[in-house]
Amino acid sequence: MKIPRVWNKRNLVLLKELTKTDFKLRYQGSVLGYLWALLRPLLMFAILYVVFAKLLGMGNDIPHYPVYLLTGTVLWSFFTECTQQGIQAMVGRGDLIRKISFPKYIVTVSTTLTAVINVLINLAVIVIFALINGVVPSFSWLLVLPLIFELYLLALGISFLLGSINVKYRDIGSIWDVLIQALFYAIPIIYPVSMVVQTSAFAAKLILINPIAQVIQDVRWSLITPVTITTSDFVGVWAELAAMGAVLAIFVVGALVFRKRSRFFAEEI
Amino acid sequence: MSEKRTIGKRIEICDNKSNSAIIARGLSKSFRLPTERAWGLKQTLFNRLRGIKGYRDQKVLDGIDLEIKKGEFVGIVGRNGSGKSTLLKLLAGIYYPSAGEITINGSLVPFIELGVGFNMELSGRENVYLNGAILGFSNSEIDAMYDDIVKFAELGDFMDQKLKNYSSGMQVRLAFSIAIRAKGDILILDEVLAVGDAEFQNKCNDYFESLHGNQTMILVTHSMDNVKKFCDRAIMIENGKIACEGKPEKVAKAYEKLWS
Repeated sequence: MKIPRVWNKRNLVLLKELTKTDFKLRYQGSVLGYLWALLRPLLMFAILYVVFAKLLGMGNDIPHYPVYLLTGTVLWSFFTECTQQGIQAMVGRGDLIRKISFPKYIVTVSTTLTAVINVLINLAVIVIFALINGVVPSFSWLLVLPLIFELYLLALGISFLLGSINVKYRDIGSIWDVLIQALFYAIPIIYPVSMVVQTSAFAAKLILINPIAQVIQDVRWSLITPVTITTSDFVGVWAELAAMGAVLAIFVVGALVFRKRSRFFAEEI
Repeated sequence: MSEKRTIGKRIEICDNKSNSAIIARGLSKSFRLPTERAWGLKQTLFNRLRGIKGYRDQKVLDGIDLEIKKGEFVGIVGRNGSGKSTLLKLLAGIYYPSAGEITINGSLVPFIELGVGFNMELSGRENVYLNGAILGFSNSEIDAMYDDIVKFAELGDFMDQKLKNYSSGMQVRLAFSIAIRAKGDILILDEVLAVGDAEFQNKCNDYFESLHGNQTMILVTHSMDNVKKFCDRAIMIENGKIACEGKPEKVAKAYEKLWS
């Protein structure tokens, strides 16, 4: 199939405009506006810090624990925001899909890009916190962006896969909301992995095999402290590669299912 | 998922030598309609368990053959529910054919509705850029034609107002003014001629007259006056099939007979 070359440029322009619109509309009508994107993870961090670090005394063995906790919550917010909005993207833009022909993936990507912009700005906040907290900058900081990209790829894959089913079965979005609540406790965000290791090394391995945990631990390792227990250290390099492979597989499967189903979005939505 | 849906073919080419803009062969479209409320996972599983299909296939278009030449202005008419809007959406690439084949030669710009993607919370100016992007314009292209759009829409003082503060007539005028800037080899219009007051109507008519002969256009309408005024040829759809085709006067007569 030959597609005129202008369509590529056209898609890019459309992606840009839709992203801009989403971004503008998300915080419209609120007094603090865009600040909420920064405040939400910071407030969540504050709550978790008071409850888990101060009251329950977790993370005493980890240097710079507040920054460590903040990094986890920011990455987790990014993942939930990305998937929750990505899954609903088609339904939210039903008006466009019913009336004009264009590659549907643009909508999923543009919707999730707002979360990407947020996480990048939050990352700057983390870096400032880290410097205040006495973390010494190092070359391993450069690994953070590729790791966030890995997490984005996973979120995008899930958004494609579940988003295309959600067009017909709206239950998917609600099921995912519940799943993500459960997933939160299966990932070492509020508790350090070392705490799990004390009880069961096997459980710790199980936790670390999850690609989301792999990314979060790797980011903590490269950004904050090598004291972090990472997937490749604790489980093995093969597990690290398997987690990355799983991300790629989910993305490819998601994209293929999405492409196949997207022909019927206009009539099913 | 249970029975396999059949899928037709859609081919998009860019062939300057051929003088056809659109060719359809045996074009059919069926929709899967839920019989009882089969939306949602629970009902679907429930139906599956009870051995109920939960849907039936409704054939909306059945074996349409048509060819539209470059530069032709073709009207598509028919009663509500005859399948003409479905045909339009198939041509526009919004729906995918269930059977048959459709070939589109060149770039195609559909106006199923004016102002697709318009957002009430954005200003008139922002909406011009958004809607323009949806129609395939880059920002610099819109920059270049922005003043003309505003002038044509007669909305000079309102462009920084939010769209929700526009009257519906103003919204349509803005949408139409962007729409007519669209440049495609093939334009598809669904009932978008009747907008604005009499004066604005005249401007629109002039615009369509000016395109006549140089632009391939497909117009879906209920107005036989417009068919006779603008179209070189008309096609009447009835029950998903082509019931009548030819000179606008002939088709208009057949259309009027539907009610006698």
